[in-house]
Amino acid sequence: MSPFPPEDSLMNSFLDDYFAECDEHLTAVRRNILALEASPGGDRAEKGLLDELFRSFHTIKGLSGMVGIKDAERLAHQIESYLGILRSRRAPVTPAGVNTVIAAVNVLEQVIAARRENRPPPTIVTVLEELTALTAVAERSGGREQHEAPPAPATAPPGTAPAPTRAFSAAAPPPAPDSPAPASSATTPTPAPPATAPPPPTLKEEELALLAEARSRGEGLWWCEFVPSRELAARNINVNVIRGRIEERGRLIHAAPRVLPSGGIAFEFLAAMKDGNAPPAAWREDGVACRRYVPEAPPETETAAPSAPSVTAAPAGSPPAAGEEKAAAAATPAGLAPSHIVRVDLSRLDELMRLVGEMVISRARLEEGLRRLEGEAAAARLHPLQETNLAMERQLRDLREAVMRIRLVPVGEIFNRMQFVVRDAARENRKEVRLQLLGQETEIDKLIVERMMDPLLHLVRNAVSHGLEDPEERRARGKDPAGTLTLRAGTAGDLVVMEVEDDGRGLDLEGIAAQARRQQLLKEGESIDEKNVLEILCAPGFSTRAAADLTSGRGVGLAVVRDAVTELGGSLDIVSRPGLGTRFVIRLPLTLAIADALIVAAGDQIYAVPQALVQEVIEISPDRVSVMENNELLPYRGGVLPLVHLRRLFRLTGGESRQLHGLVIGVGLSAVAVAVDRIVGRREIVVRAISDPLLQVPGVSGATELGDGRVVLILDAAGLRSGKR
Amino acid sequence: MENSEHYILFTLAGTTYAVRSGEVQQMDMVEQITPVPNAPPSVEGVVFLRGQVIPAINLRVRFGFPKAPYDLQTRLIVVRRESRVVGLIVDTARDFVMIPAATIQPPPEGIAALSGRYLAGIATVGERLVLILDIAEVINPADIMTTAPESAQIQEEREDEKRR
Repeated sequence: MSPFPPEDSLMNSFLDDYFAECDEHLTAVRRNILALEASPGGDRAEKGLLDELFRSFHTIKGLSGMVGIKDAERLAHQIESYLGILRSRRAPVTPAGVNTVIAAVNVLEQVIAARRENRPPPTIVTVLEELTALTAVAERSGGREQHEAPPAPATAPPGTAPAPTRAFSAAAPPPAPDSPAPASSATTPTPAPPATAPPPPTLKEEELALLAEARSRGEGLWWCEFVPSRELAARNINVNVIRGRIEERGRLIHAAPRVLPSGGIAFEFLAAMKDGNAPPAAWREDGVACRRYVPEAPPETETAAPSAPSVTAAPAGSPPAAGEEKAAAAATPAGLAPSHIVRVDLSRLDELMRLVGEMVISRARLEEGLRRLEGEAAAARLHPLQETNLAMERQLRDLREAVMRIRLVPVGEIFNRMQFVVRDAARENRKEVRLQLLGQETEIDKLIVERMMDPLLHLVRNAVSHGLEDPEERRARGKDPAGTLTLRAGTAGDLVVMEVEDDGRGLDLEGIAAQARRQQLLKEGESIDEKNVLEILCAPGFSTRAAADLTSGRGVGLAVVRDAVTELGGSLDIVSRPGLGTRFVIRLPLTLAIADALIVAAGDQIYAVPQALVQEVIEISPDRVSVMENNELLPYRGGVLPLVHLRRLFRLTGGESRQLHGLVIGVGLSAVAVAVDRIVGRREIVVRAISDPLLQVPGVSGATELGDGRVVLILDAAGLRSGKR
Repeated sequence: MENSEHYILFTLAGTTYAVRSGEVQQMDMVEQITPVPNAPPSVEGVVFLRGQVIPAINLRVRFGFPKAPYDLQTRLIVVRRESRVVGLIVDTARDFVMIPAATIQPPPEGIAALSGRYLAGIATVGERLVLILDIAEVINPADIMTTAPESAQIQEEREDEKRR
């Protein structure tokens, strides 16, 4: 029985990141190489391009090494070495050099794509030899112009090229050609783009369904390829325009970009068009080549020109006898289809969110204005405005959710990393641990995921080292010698709940209570339970050493965990069952920035309370409140709730109402009722952080604005709950 | 005039103070300050400034003077120091002057006790004596939270007034 899930899944998630990053770098590389080719040698722009290229390959090399894709690492390394020479001005940029780099990039892409699709990788031997030769020549040229093609690798200086190259070829699964590529290939490395016969697209299931549907209706199937160019862009013809044209004539089944071996890009479209609607031949003027599409067979019938002018604008002199790998390169460009993932800087999303937030406030102002008009303006005139306002509210809510969804990432991202932590901690402490991950697909805001990394790490480490018993002890207690550690995630309303649970010994509440009394954190007669144990463990005065002995290290750093959670607007709770285990429950907002809130009044002030924190709003009649030892208690659902008066807690003045309202905050034993004077309403609020140290007061988690420019404080549940003591 | 800097002059309880204009982000009329419960006495509350929530410190309370009601002259001087942005409520902001570094004297030892800490120096502008503030000390959170016993007293007096 293996206590860990297979490492393959872990590796795969790293690989996904690797592919995404490589895509990103290769895109930049393609752009920069083309720019380099276009720029006349020797200017400053060229230096910048070379620097960027160099860095890109350096990164790809590093990443490839990390995930163990040796061929990609070697290729990237060799390209990097060559660029290093160009960059330090020891040799000029030559067309032959650029071409070789382009060819190498193509092979590099294929190597990466092969790994992604679990295909055998192409051989890198030929292009690697070309590169090594090129590097050697550049090294020797010492700044002289390179008009001649680099010599064949056989004549390269010993020690530079051939030896390592052979070693690589031995590692490449498909047997490498024994005879190296002819020297001439270095001057003409780029294969002609396969514009005339691209491979059939790999269609997704739903696309295949659409295809079948179109065929059953007898519609014609057309395969179009658009290659954008600068001239076309100047005429305002871009991929969206072409897409629009195609959609005007029929139904689009499949659309995908494809990277041309020349480093350029082409967009493929598969569309179903009625017979009278066939794409006009004139489209080819606009860079669009179309032909009938015959599924499961190479398309043959050509109506438009074989290729648009821009397609043929590839480097002249295609190699008649290119190496095998180049033939392979031409045959499998579909494998290079980029993944449909866009990586976006978080700050851009923040900016977007900020704008949405401002719109929410503007709309609130609008609503305020409309309300004032009520009674003044004729209802018939006001009505459409009010309806528009309501529609806008809905739309803004949708917009906000859409933006939020972009920010969401699966919790599995951090859960997976915990596997290493658990394994290390288990080994260090000589424990046997079975790790259970549940709800990994639960999505949560990216920022929250990042901020939760350390707290989770801490809880997990502590659970293994202190929560779980030794195998012998467990056996003695009749437990499975291997302890179970469960990481669980799930959503509950607007909250994400994360749990770290072990089936270890649980907290020694009595021991903690005794220590707390010694340190006067707990008065005589006060007992300890789940709701105050966390506060005691986190109290600054509580001796961590004693805590470490008594609570098996739980006290150490727990305050840090709680603070991190609180800062994100969440809460931390402990559930302990003596002898059976401990569970830490972290509740976090699904996302930050905008929340639904109750607006309440207490004294002469107005506050916002995140709706997610409020379990229920109840009425409080003064005669039902009983006083017990300085505490006010309120009967609630067969039990009692401690009552916290916001007015007293915040020392507020101003008109007190007879009939108070209570916000029930928290669940179970940690629940309290917070008494306020009035419930003003429910609003969508934009949460602003309060960061200044002067404003770090208990009970306040942030601030918002309701449309009048005035700051309204947002109450924080944890602070209010502790206010009852 | 090589070693001179621009300063903004303001008055507080009849005395003229100066802050380096480089440290001042903007000046505003005082309106709608939201009180923050259980904040230090000199923290009057919070205001929005370009979407950011910043504390507003009543400099009278901070320096141990009696509080005065706001009027049309009252200003909020917003200072920036490292990543913090803090508003200072002052009686009135007056001038924008250039003070040559050579004319700035160190604060006399006699006033080094409490208020001396907030002073970076003393200068004479025209006929006026100007106290140049050390903003870092003025907005030092540890100091704000622990000192100003007089202001606590003032706070209580205010409470009494309200009760009456």
